[in-house]
Amino acid sequence: MKESGAWTEVAFNSRDPLYLQVIRYFKELIATGRLQAGQVIPSRRELGAQMKINPNTAQRAYKEMEEQLLIITEGNSPSRITSDAAVLRKIRSELLADSVNAFLLSVRNIDIPLEELLELVSGKYSEMREMDSRADEGETKHD
Amino acid sequence: MIEVVDIHKRYLRKKVLSGVSFTAEKGQITCLIGINGAGKSTILKAIMGLIPLNSGSIRIDGEQTGKAVYEKAAFVADHLTMPLAMKLSEGFQFMEEFYESWDSERACELMQFFKLDPKERIGNLSKGNAAKYSLLLGLSQDTEYVLMDEPFSGIDMFSKELITEVFASELMGERGVLLTTHEIHDMEYLIDKAVLLQDGVVRKSFNCEDMRSSEGKSVTDVMREVYQP
Repeated sequence: MKESGAWTEVAFNSRDPLYLQVIRYFKELIATGRLQAGQVIPSRRELGAQMKINPNTAQRAYKEMEEQLLIITEGNSPSRITSDAAVLRKIRSELLADSVNAFLLSVRNIDIPLEELLELVSGKYSEMREMDSRADEGETKHD
Repeated sequence: MIEVVDIHKRYLRKKVLSGVSFTAEKGQITCLIGINGAGKSTILKAIMGLIPLNSGSIRIDGEQTGKAVYEKAAFVADHLTMPLAMKLSEGFQFMEEFYESWDSERACELMQFFKLDPKERIGNLSKGNAAKYSLLLGLSQDTEYVLMDEPFSGIDMFSKELITEVFASELMGERGVLLTTHEIHDMEYLIDKAVLLQDGVVRKSFNCEDMRSSEGKSVTDVMREVYQP
């Protein structure tokens, strides 16, 4: 990653283990295409310095990601994102499942039939898509 | 490892430390937390051998502390202890005279990182820059441990960010850091271990990541439980 911005902008919450939040952030960057397969990632120390977190935490996150085959470290060369398509696909579905779970938890206590909920979701979804595409057009016009 | 075992300290009749024990490991950042007057600075001074204790013992890597402690641990006080009329660069020579462990290459590196002007007089530094210079003098000693008294106290957020970056960086290497604060907020994500002090005793000491994993509590949450039950 060329721009250091991606690492410095993270907002952590103070109650969840930090190393898990770091891993989650890596997965988000991968799922959204900001980190590409095979891309070199910062060293543990660099990441610690940029994210302003304890270097031991960064170390633990990297170790865990290595075990999950998310990143590869060969010998003395810098760590990189895996190129294994199966692993990358899994990240995407995992993140989606997490988000859907969180959404369901937050509406669980509101009494609403599934059909109505799905209708709401689908309506909001197309609304959002429309706004996104309009924003994209706006951007290209300015160029 | 710095081992503090059951230390007691009285100033006249006032008890400041009443049996404090804890450890600070190498390669970790340990933070002594407590309100003003909890005894934090006294502990650091005791480790550095700057004040006599009434009882208890302090060992660094298994050895009783003595004069050799100055080459083993660097102390960054909460104020600059250098002659104010000196230029920053002259301060380096001063340090070189007194400390075998002085690493002038690292000092120059840090000068650039903090964007300090070597021709500036020490007495003319702003509070933030004085804190940076103070930290620089501590970190440029090639010691296994660094002790810092309130490194973040009273400085602006950008200076804080720079200092935080140094903590996480190569410059810290495998050293052990022991610092004090009464304001945990700036370093919640930075420290390995928290030691909560109150009225001269350790009320609780824990690994922050373990606390988040096992109990889902932030350092601030635990502080609230301990200090405001």
